[in-house]
Amino acid sequence: MRGLDLSLPVWALATLLLLALIGLPIGWLVALSVTGEHGLTLAHYVDAFRSVALRRALWNTVVMAFWVGVLSVAIGAPLAWLTARTDLPGRRLLRALVMASFVTPPFLGAVAWVMLAGPNAGVLNKLWRSLTGREAALLDIFTMPGLIFVVAIYTFPYVYVMIGNTLELVASDLEEAAAVLGAGRLTTARTITLPLVAPAIVSGFIVSVLQALALFGSPAILALPAGFHTLTTQVWGMFQYPPRIETAAAVSLPLLVATALLLMLQRRLLGRRGYAVVGGKGGTRRRLALRAWRYPALLGCFVVMACAVLLPYGVLARTAFSRAWAQPLTWDNLTLRNWTFTFFEYSATRSAIVNTLELGLLTASVGAGLAALLAYVARRRTIVGHQLVGFVALAPIAIPGVVLAVALFIAYTRPPLILYGTLWILFVAYVTKEMPVGYAQCDATFRTIPAELEEAGRILGARPLRVLGEITAPLARSGIIAAWCFIFIGVIRELSASIILFTASTKVMSVVIFDLKEEGQFGAIAVLGLFMIVMTFGVVLLMERVLGRDFLGVRE
Amino acid sequence: MKADVRLVGLGKRYGEVGAVEGLSLDVAAGELVSLLGPSGCGKTTTLRLVAGFITPDDGEIWVGDRRLSSRDAVVPPERRRMAMIFQSYALWPHLTVAQNVAYGLRFKSDVPRSDRDRRVAEMLRVVQLAGLEHRYPGELSGGQQQRVAVARALVVEPDILLLDEPLSNLDANLREEMRFEIRRLHEAFGITTLYVTHDQAEAMVISDRVAVLERGRLAQVGRAEDLFRRPRSRFVAEFIGKTNIIDAVATGPDTVARAALRLRVDAKDLTAGAPVLVSVRPHEIELSTGPVPRTPDNAFAGVVRRASYVGTAVDYQVTLAGTDVTLRVTAPVTVRLAAGDTVAVRLDPAACVALPPAP
Amino acid sequence: MKRLLAGALLASLAAAVPAAAQDARLEAARKEGKVVWYTSLALSTAEKVAKLFEAKFAGVKVEVQRTGSQRILQRVMQELGANIKNVDVIHTSDAGHYVLLKDKKLLMAYTPAGAERFPPGFKDRDGFHYGLRATVNVIAYNTKAVSASDAPKTWKDLLAPRWKGKLVTAHPGYSGVIATHVLALSHLLGWDFFKALGQQSVMIVQSAVDPAGVVASGERPVAVDGGDYTFYQSKKAGNPVEVVYPKEGVPLVVSPTAIAAFAPHPNAAKLFTDFTFSREVQQVLADTEGLYTGHPDVTYPSDKPKLSELKLLTVDPAELEKRGEEIKRRFVEFFGA
Repeated sequence: MRGLDLSLPVWALATLLLLALIGLPIGWLVALSVTGEHGLTLAHYVDAFRSVALRRALWNTVVMAFWVGVLSVAIGAPLAWLTARTDLPGRRLLRALVMASFVTPPFLGAVAWVMLAGPNAGVLNKLWRSLTGREAALLDIFTMPGLIFVVAIYTFPYVYVMIGNTLELVASDLEEAAAVLGAGRLTTARTITLPLVAPAIVSGFIVSVLQALALFGSPAILALPAGFHTLTTQVWGMFQYPPRIETAAAVSLPLLVATALLLMLQRRLLGRRGYAVVGGKGGTRRRLALRAWRYPALLGCFVVMACAVLLPYGVLARTAFSRAWAQPLTWDNLTLRNWTFTFFEYSATRSAIVNTLELGLLTASVGAGLAALLAYVARRRTIVGHQLVGFVALAPIAIPGVVLAVALFIAYTRPPLILYGTLWILFVAYVTKEMPVGYAQCDATFRTIPAELEEAGRILGARPLRVLGEITAPLARSGIIAAWCFIFIGVIRELSASIILFTASTKVMSVVIFDLKEEGQFGAIAVLGLFMIVMTFGVVLLMERVLGRDFLGVRE
Repeated sequence: MKADVRLVGLGKRYGEVGAVEGLSLDVAAGELVSLLGPSGCGKTTTLRLVAGFITPDDGEIWVGDRRLSSRDAVVPPERRRMAMIFQSYALWPHLTVAQNVAYGLRFKSDVPRSDRDRRVAEMLRVVQLAGLEHRYPGELSGGQQQRVAVARALVVEPDILLLDEPLSNLDANLREEMRFEIRRLHEAFGITTLYVTHDQAEAMVISDRVAVLERGRLAQVGRAEDLFRRPRSRFVAEFIGKTNIIDAVATGPDTVARAALRLRVDAKDLTAGAPVLVSVRPHEIELSTGPVPRTPDNAFAGVVRRASYVGTAVDYQVTLAGTDVTLRVTAPVTVRLAAGDTVAVRLDPAACVALPPAP
Repeated sequence: MKRLLAGALLASLAAAVPAAAQDARLEAARKEGKVVWYTSLALSTAEKVAKLFEAKFAGVKVEVQRTGSQRILQRVMQELGANIKNVDVIHTSDAGHYVLLKDKKLLMAYTPAGAERFPPGFKDRDGFHYGLRATVNVIAYNTKAVSASDAPKTWKDLLAPRWKGKLVTAHPGYSGVIATHVLALSHLLGWDFFKALGQQSVMIVQSAVDPAGVVASGERPVAVDGGDYTFYQSKKAGNPVEVVYPKEGVPLVVSPTAIAAFAPHPNAAKLFTDFTFSREVQQVLADTEGLYTGHPDVTYPSDKPKLSELKLLTVDPAELEKRGEEIKRRFVEFFGA
C-alpha cells in the first residue's frame, strides 16, 4: 500500500523497542555474567555449574517442567477434543471453567492447595481421616508430584486453547471419510484426528514446559517447605544480601538459550501459527455422540475443574471468612476480621491495589496499541524488513520472567536510565513479557481483515489515515480489545519478575500476597486473592459483553 | 470525465522474476479493454500498477495529460480519480449497502451532501438493488454483493474503472448473465475500463479490445475477432478458443509440409525451409462422407478416432491418412460419424493461420 | 520564698523547654508528612503500633513495610545500590545487621528519650541503635495433637524418631530471630545438632511468625523454633498452642532499631522512634503482643515467664554479622532449601 511511508518512524520505534526492552537488558546480562573483579572471566559460569545446590535445582526444574508438560497435555487435549468434537453436555460451562483456570494466578492456586492438601491440616486430608479413620494423609502437596500437579492444573488451558483451535481448522470431513469406511469413533479419533493434531499437541507440550520453567510462585510456596529448590527460586535467592548478581546472570543465560531453542522447535512444528489464539474458521461439524461414555467423560471433566477452580476457590472463600482456617467452619469461627484487616489496617493493601491497577491499565493500553501497530505494519508489509517486526514482537516469549527481571534489574539500576525504584521498571518488564500475547492476538485479527478492504477505500478517494480510522479500526476493534484483556490479565497475575523488581513503594498485589504467605497470613491472602480474582473476572466479563463472544476463541 | 490510459514500457520485478516486462498499451477514452491471460501472466499486477498500489520499476502510466506513475513518483490511489471492483468485492462488513455505496461520494467536492442520497438511490436502482439500502453485506447473496460493488464504483463517476476478475466467484449461469450486464453498463456510462480476467469467452463478450498477456509481456492486442481469426503466436492461438497446431516446415511463400502432408496456408511470404506452426480451428474443418474432393488444396482422407456428441455439435478426433497428424474437429450434428469411419477432411486455406514457432 | 519561686520558675522553664522542643519537632514532622518504617515486627503488631502513632500525632503517617529481617537488609542495600533513599527507620531482629550498617556509616546516632535507662543488651555504646523489643526462641506444640507429657522438653528431645515428619522450622535466610537462634544453639549444642535435626523431614517456613500458624492449624504439631511472642499471641487468641521453654537455655533475640543516616524524613523518624520507646507503647508490646522490652518501668503479664526466670543464651552481634553467610549456608545444607 503506497502513499503512507511508515518506514522510518516505525523502524525507529521498533528499534527503540528492541533496544530498550530486550537488547540493553540482555546485553547487560551477558556483560555481567562474564565480568569479574579483574576484567573478563568465566568464573561465574564455573561457580554456577560447580554448585551442587544449583545442579540439583536445575534437575528439579527439568523434572518438574517435563511432567507439567505431560500432565497439561493429558488434561488439555482430551478436554479440547470433548469440547470441540463431541456432544458432551455442559460444554459452555466447561469452557467457562477452563477460562477461570486460565485467569487464576498459579501462586494463588498453590496457596489454596496448601490449605487443601497440607498433609496434616489440609481440608481434604482431614476429610479423608474422618471418613476412613486412617492416620496417614491421603495427599501431601509439599512434594514434587504435588508441585507438578498444582502447576499443571493452571497450565493446561494453554494446551486446551491450542488444540481446540487446531481441531477447529481440521475439516471434519476427513473424519467422516474414515467413518464411512467403517472406522469406529475411537479408531477415527486415534488414527485420523490424532495424527492431524499431533503437531499442536507437541507444541502445547512445549508451551507448557516453557510456562513451568519460568514459574516462581508455586515452587516458592510448595517446594521450599519441602526442602528443594528450582532454578527460579535459586535465582531469587541470589538477590538476598549479599547479592550474587553475576552468578544470577550466569545462571540466567543458559536458561534463556534453552527456552529460545525450545521455542524455535515449537514454531517449526506449528508452522507460523506459533501461538494459536485464533478465532477459527468453524463451520458446522458433525459431533460424536458419546452415549454411555458421556458419564465417565463428565466425571473426568468435573474432577479436573474441581481441582483447578471449585476446590481452590471454595477454600479461599472459606478462609476469607474464618478466624482460623484449619478449624471447622462453625459460627464462632466466622469473622469479617480478615476483611477489615486487609483493607483497613494493612497499609500495603491500598497502594498495592492502586499500583496493580495503574500498571495493568497502562501496560494493557500501551501494549495493545503497540502490538496493533506492529502487527498491522507486519501484515500489510508496508515497510522494509517486515518479517523482522514479527520476530521482535514475539521474541520475549523466549525469556523466562525471572531472567527478564535479572536483566532489567542490571540494566536499569545504573546510568543512563535508572528506573529501579519506580513503577516504570515494572512497566517495562510487563510490556516486554506480555507483548507476544498481544501481538499474536492482533496478528490473528488483522489476518481477518484483507488488504483489499483498505484498498477499496483508497481508490475511492480516502486517504490512508482515514481508511485506518473508518475501515480498519472498527473491524479490528474486537480483536484489539481481546489483546488488551490478555495483557491486563497477564499483568495482574505476574509474580516471577515483580518479586525481583519491586521496592517498598512499588509493591503490586501479587507481591503482597507472596509477602503475606511468607508470614503465614492465610486470612489476608484469601481476601486479597478473592479480590484479585473478582477484579480479573470483572474485566473479562465486561469485555465479553462488549465483544459479544468468548474471546478465548475456541468455538463450540 | 472520459480519459485515455497509456501504459508506456511498464515493468515490475519481484526479486528475479519479472511480473510485468516492457508492457505498452493504449486504451482510448471510453474503451473497455480486457487484460486476458493465465494465472501468473501479470494481468493483476498491471491493474494494480494502474491503480497506484504498486510502484513500477520501469515505464510510465499516463491518464489523459497526467503522468500518474513512474519509477520515481506515484500519485497515490486516492488522487487518481479511479474506481475499482475487486474479485472479493471488498465490501465493508460494518457498513450498510447504502453506506458502502455512498463512501466515495464524500471525497468528491463537486457533489454536495444533499445530493449524495439521491445519487446512491439512483445507482442502486440501476443495478437493481433498490430496497436493500439498509442491509449489511453479510446478509446478501453473492450476486447481490457483486452488484453493490459495481454500484459503489460507478456512483463516483470515475475517470477510469478497474475490474479485477469480478465474476469469478459467481456460478456459471450468473456469470453469463453478468457479462452482458457489465457490457450494458459500460455502454450506458461509457467509462474507460480495464478488465482483468482469465476467461477468454468473457473477455470476448465484454471487451472492445482484448490484450493477451503471457508471462508479463503483451502477446497480442486487438479486437476479439482479430485475435481469434488472426492469432500471431501459438500462445494466443491456443489461449483464445480451441485450436489444432500442426508443426511443419515452409515449402513456399504460402505452403508448408509435414512429412507427407502438404498444406496451403493463409500467408504470403514464408521462407522455404523455415519452421512454421499452422493453427486451424476445429470448427473450420469440414468433414464429409464420400470420396475426398478433388479440390486442389488441403483435402485429405482421414479416419475417425473418437466421436463425442455434445448436443450442439459433435466433437471428433480425426487422423489424416498417411500422417501422424490428428486433428480435433467440431462438426455440426448433421454429419454423424463413428469411430473407425473413413472421412474426407477439408481445411480452408484461409482458415489455416501460419504462426512463428514458439520461442 | 524567692528561692522557692526561682526554683518553681526554673522547674517550669525546664518543663517548658522539652515541651517547646516537642512542638517544634512535631511541626517539622508534619511538614515531612510521613515516616517510612521497614520492620520485621509481626504484621498485626506493627500495624497496631503505627495506628497508635497516627492517632496521637495527627498529620504524620506511618508507612509500614513489613517483611523478614533478612529481606529488610536486602531491600535497604539494594535500594542504596540504586541510589534510592526511601527508608527512615530500620528495625530487624538480626543484631548483626546493625554491626554492618554502622560500619558502613548508614545509621544516624540518635538516642530515643528515656533509652539511657535501658539495660546494656538493649543499647549500642555509640548510640546508633537501641533494642526495641526482645523475644526468646522456644519449642511449641499443638495441644490437640500432643499431650503435655509427650511434648518435647529440651532441644535434644526434638531429635527423637517419633518427631520425624512432625516438625516445622523457620528459616535464618529470612528471619533474624532464627539466624540468632541457630547461632546460639550451635554454640550450645554444636552443628551436629542441626545436622541431626535436618534428618527429621522438617517442614520449612520463612518467617519466625509462621511456625505459630503452622502449629495452630495442626499442619505440623511441633515447632522447633520461633519467637515466643508469636506463640503467646496465638494461644491468647484461643488456638490450641502451648510453649516450652527448654531448661538448657533459650536464645535471646533483641531486635534493634535505628534511623537511617540518609532518612528522607528525619524529624518524623525521631518522633516515631521516641514514641516506640515510650512507656505506653512498650507496655502495649508487653501486654498484648507478648514481647519483652528493655524499658525498666514496663510490667509483664503473669502467664508468661520473666526474662530473669529463664536461662538466656545470647550471641555477639559482631559474630552474628561475620558468620551470617555461614549460618545460612549450613542451614540450607542440612535442611535442603
